[in-house]
Amino acid sequence: MSLTLGRRLKIRAMVHVAGEPIPYFWPMRTFIHHNPLHGLEHLPFAQAVAQGERLFRARGYLPRAVRRRYLAQGKVEVAVLARQVEHFVARETPLAALDMQRLFFTLLTEHEEELGAAPALASARDVHAALAGQALPPAEFSSADLAQRIRAEMPAGRPLHALVDQLFGTEIGATLDELVIKSCLDFFDEGQSVWQMPGRERGLFAAWSALARHNLRLFIRGLHIKRILALDDTPEGIISHVMSELGVPEDHWTDYFTCELTRLHGWAGFIRWRAAAKHYHWSRSYPADLVDYLAIRLVLGLALLREHAQRKKTPANLPALQRFVGERPEEAYLRRELHGGHILPELAHAVEDAIAGRRQARLVRLLPEYLARKREREAMLYAGRLQRLAERAGLAHALAGLDADGIASLLVTLDRFHQAEGLMWLSAQEAHYMQQLLGGLNLAPRPAREKRPFAQVLFCIDVRSERIRRHLEKVGDYQTYGIAGFFGVPVGFIGLDKGSETQLCPVVVTPKNLVLELAIARNADDEAFVSVLEQVFHELKASVLSPFITVEAIGLLFGLDMFGKSLAPLTYNRWRSRLHPDKPDSRLLLDKLTREQADSIIRSLQRAMIVRAIGRELGIQREAITDEMIRELREAALGHGEGPTGLARQFGLEGSSEKKFIERLQRVYRVNRGYTQIQLERLGRIGFTLDEQVHFVSQALRSIGLTTDFSRFVLLAGHGSVSENNPYESALDCGACGGNHGIVNARVLAQMANKPAVRERLRAQGIAIADDTWFIPAFHNTTTDELRLHDLDLLPPSHLVYIERLSNGLQAASRLCAAERLPTLGFGEGQSRRADDPASAYRQARRNAMDWSQVRPEWGLSRNAAFVIGRRHATKRLNLEGRVFLHSYDHRCDPKGRLLENILSGPLVVGQWINMEHYFSTVDNDHYGSGSKVYHNIAGRFGVMTGNLSDLRTGLPSQTVLKDGAPYHEPLRLLTLIEAPFEHARQAIEGVANVRSLVYNGWVRVAVVDPDTYVVHVFEEGGWRQHALREAGAAIETEDIPL
Amino acid sequence: MALLLGAALFLPLFPLSILLNALLTHLRHPLARCVLLLAWPQVGVTLLQSVPLPIPQAFVPWALLTSAFYALRLLTVRDLGLWAGFFASSAFALTWGLAVSTHAEGLRLFALWFSVPAALLALLAGPLAQRLGAAYAGLSGGLAGPLPRLAGVLAVIVFAAVATPPFPGFFALLGLLHQLAAPAAVAVLAIWLVWGWAAARLLQGFIFGAERPSAVGDIAQASALAYFGVLGAFTAAGLYLMGGGL
Repeated sequence: MSLTLGRRLKIRAMVHVAGEPIPYFWPMRTFIHHNPLHGLEHLPFAQAVAQGERLFRARGYLPRAVRRRYLAQGKVEVAVLARQVEHFVARETPLAALDMQRLFFTLLTEHEEELGAAPALASARDVHAALAGQALPPAEFSSADLAQRIRAEMPAGRPLHALVDQLFGTEIGATLDELVIKSCLDFFDEGQSVWQMPGRERGLFAAWSALARHNLRLFIRGLHIKRILALDDTPEGIISHVMSELGVPEDHWTDYFTCELTRLHGWAGFIRWRAAAKHYHWSRSYPADLVDYLAIRLVLGLALLREHAQRKKTPANLPALQRFVGERPEEAYLRRELHGGHILPELAHAVEDAIAGRRQARLVRLLPEYLARKREREAMLYAGRLQRLAERAGLAHALAGLDADGIASLLVTLDRFHQAEGLMWLSAQEAHYMQQLLGGLNLAPRPAREKRPFAQVLFCIDVRSERIRRHLEKVGDYQTYGIAGFFGVPVGFIGLDKGSETQLCPVVVTPKNLVLELAIARNADDEAFVSVLEQVFHELKASVLSPFITVEAIGLLFGLDMFGKSLAPLTYNRWRSRLHPDKPDSRLLLDKLTREQADSIIRSLQRAMIVRAIGRELGIQREAITDEMIRELREAALGHGEGPTGLARQFGLEGSSEKKFIERLQRVYRVNRGYTQIQLERLGRIGFTLDEQVHFVSQALRSIGLTTDFSRFVLLAGHGSVSENNPYESALDCGACGGNHGIVNARVLAQMANKPAVRERLRAQGIAIADDTWFIPAFHNTTTDELRLHDLDLLPPSHLVYIERLSNGLQAASRLCAAERLPTLGFGEGQSRRADDPASAYRQARRNAMDWSQVRPEWGLSRNAAFVIGRRHATKRLNLEGRVFLHSYDHRCDPKGRLLENILSGPLVVGQWINMEHYFSTVDNDHYGSGSKVYHNIAGRFGVMTGNLSDLRTGLPSQTVLKDGAPYHEPLRLLTLIEAPFEHARQAIEGVANVRSLVYNGWVRVAVVDPDTYVVHVFEEGGWRQHALREAGAAIETEDIPL
Repeated sequence: MALLLGAALFLPLFPLSILLNALLTHLRHPLARCVLLLAWPQVGVTLLQSVPLPIPQAFVPWALLTSAFYALRLLTVRDLGLWAGFFASSAFALTWGLAVSTHAEGLRLFALWFSVPAALLALLAGPLAQRLGAAYAGLSGGLAGPLPRLAGVLAVIVFAAVATPPFPGFFALLGLLHQLAAPAAVAVLAIWLVWGWAAARLLQGFIFGAERPSAVGDIAQASALAYFGVLGAFTAAGLYLMGGGL
């Protein structure tokens, strides 16, 4: 039985919509920082956080205790916090006798005890009686009331297995997750397993269902998968049948799907990304989408529900569950209390005993006692807490003066206050940071220079660049700039010996141009013996039986490796790296190929294929044939030639044999007209036209305001990290390069900018690059702080004399940077070597990068807080502690605001993703982050799991955002500071739809600083508010001037 | 026979074991439970030692069935006080395995090696109930974080109870295995295995899992030291008194 096409499409659409709140999860090789609530960014921040709490069962704000620590450290603007409370109270129903402003402010800032959630069973009258020291008024709970309370926790979209688990203490949800994870691990494996799942090329659902039909383990467990799968062949059909079987009304299917998908949102996010990543090799080879995944979940879920229904007499569908609640509300209520974690501890045994004994009469007898005791407990507990809060605020008399209605109103207000307080704290802490940053800006015009700087260095906007830029500027005459780490050039890159393309640009961009890396000179003999040996070891370890023998035979060698890595990581790794041949010098194929060049390349490839085919198919060696014969065969295969070819004549091939051979050439060796066209198109992607090169160089330089006064050296510093045994290594790489090292993009732009033809055209556009200016690509290793120059062999001889000075300066900055950074990683405490000694710190940083036991090689982008778009001069005198993304920008070079729009739409969006990833990983590391690295295991070579079986862990590990269990990263929304006239900046923001949405919905905070008028415009509470800076470098005035 | 039946009440064999467990359920005070668990098996041993005739071999399978029954019950019970009672019932029954082969003083010690940790567990249920409302596994998991001393004491006592080395129960069970015929020894090993499983479930319910925010304080350092002191003395006594036994 199959569904109609329309029905199938409808189900696909439902699943698509249901999956939208789930963020993409990229493979770990190219970790992409992203907002875990990206799918909810169309909502205001507070609403999205609330929605996230519901969908992902995660917290959206830091607990009050942590915020209070920030308050004690002076990191919270108390006046703003008080104003937030005032605004809240103004919106609520006033209680004449009670100063709510004082009460709530005390609750936030002084009172240690948590009030907790409002009572579930006790009413306001009960709390009032408890406050007055009176007996609780009589209350009765009817069966209908109890059933109603239970149904309130059974929203339409909630999965049936979750409801059954809650009422019957079964663990169907956990078992289902386990089975689904195992299936996913089998299918999505990218080479980690020795034995692969069969039939994967047919797709996830088809491959899984073929295996599941014969899965003996599932059958033994009583899961009759086969019967369910017999209902339909397609995943859409299965989904439809299972949902009908479960009795879920169709109107609620989308909500139901969302809840099912968010249970393992890591896996669902990975599948969602994978289905959309058309270029991804594994996705093309083994297709899968959320419809397949959901169908598997539902099949297994239904089988488990049926098995439990048979064995434990639990309801197998929604109507049966609703009947159970309606017919036996007392039992259902007590079951919910026990299994839902609400039970009164002292009655837990009695309730469990009665439920286990299935004694209905005993349950009915027990219930009144239970309800009475719980109600009394809740009322007393809450009243006591309320009383102590009021005493702390000096409002005990006022509280005592409230009647029952007043208490009811207070309880409602307190509940709303609990929901609102997270944003209050956040705003107050952000306000403090904003004032600090604005107060330190230097908006005065930059003084004119007598001579050009020794070198200009373009760094990525990454927060880690701020430290090294500051030190570089201190040690010499260096001028630094911030630009997105891909230098504005989206590149598809095929490296040496790599067969696939890596996209080096933000994930929101798809590169059009391809760059090939070619070795200058390569000797095949350079393939080191050690590399071959490593390959052999790997094979031995990976196969099924050989590890048993390998351990006995060569286990000691691994032991030596282990001791070396553990005891002397720096020395050992240096020695080990010598065993490998150096990477050969290379050049990038950057220029567009002409049509003739492309034809020539394809011709030579096809000729090579034909020679190979003749050898394999006909057994004729190359020396027996001529170039002319090959040409004729090629023409024939492409359909240009007719009649017997020279080869046929020479070797006496009959017409049919020749025809057969040519057909094989076309089909097997792909020498045909269609494939030639494809190859031509692919070759057409290689390189950049001269116009494109001029455009990219011009755009990069203009966007940072570097159009005149070029130094002799312009360094383009891409960045990346190097660490050992770290699945999250790419999370420390350049986000603007798609989670890769930024050196390739630096090399590309440098090669373009050094080209005379490009410079000539740039000069015509008003960008006069000095004749002796040379662009040098460099690599900034953020784990070691090392700055290494690349492509020095291309340097003009006249520049060589300055290289030593340049290198010295860079190394000094690296050492100073390491000395500043290492103490934050806990080095130097109680050690003989001082971490603030630059040389020791630099060495320690390098050791850190090589240490395979190091769970925190660097802090990465932790503590990021702001994004400054403006001249470096404005922030140069500030120590920004590596917390600020710095994008150089001079509005004078961008009269139309187009460059600013580019900065907002690319780098700012990437910065916001990074910021939100850190924010949510900090506020709830278990749910939005990935927990401790210590328990992580690699899953299928594309993700990590906690333990041997879990959801794919998304987000950042605790070691990246927490220190000693407390937040190291201070979760703030990204403060975006634009140094430009207000109207200029406002138009740019309005011009980029998604940035406008981020600003208006409060996902980023924006302040526009006009360097001419010293007026600041801040977007807050739904509109622009104008503030005034007294003068450059002075603190911001507090008065607001509404527009 | 009357003496034997009396001994079967105090070194409980099912269904006579119901009395001990009913008493433990009835006695709510941890100290009363503690005293009962310490004294009860010693009465049984005294009675057993008064039996003039050799004890019939038929008591061994009866004792093993009783022990296995209560070991399996341990897997489902979550109240710490009852857990201690069921554990004691399971362990005390094993005394019969030793009794059929020897009338030595070893019987009294054998019972003691299991009654002390059971009594300590019953005692510990007090501070747990005081802090959490009930000493009930699975209600307030994750005690290791907020109450590290209490969680540590609980873990060590449970280890002592289920006869992990170097606690005396381990050596006592080894001694018992030496005395028993092979099938009975296998049964004891299976029971021992179930104890370990039940202990893991119990600790899982109290110590591990998601930490719940709680304002209650841990037990005093002195209390923790007292518990560890008793356990230390218990272990030392075991090593001293049974050192030559193997």
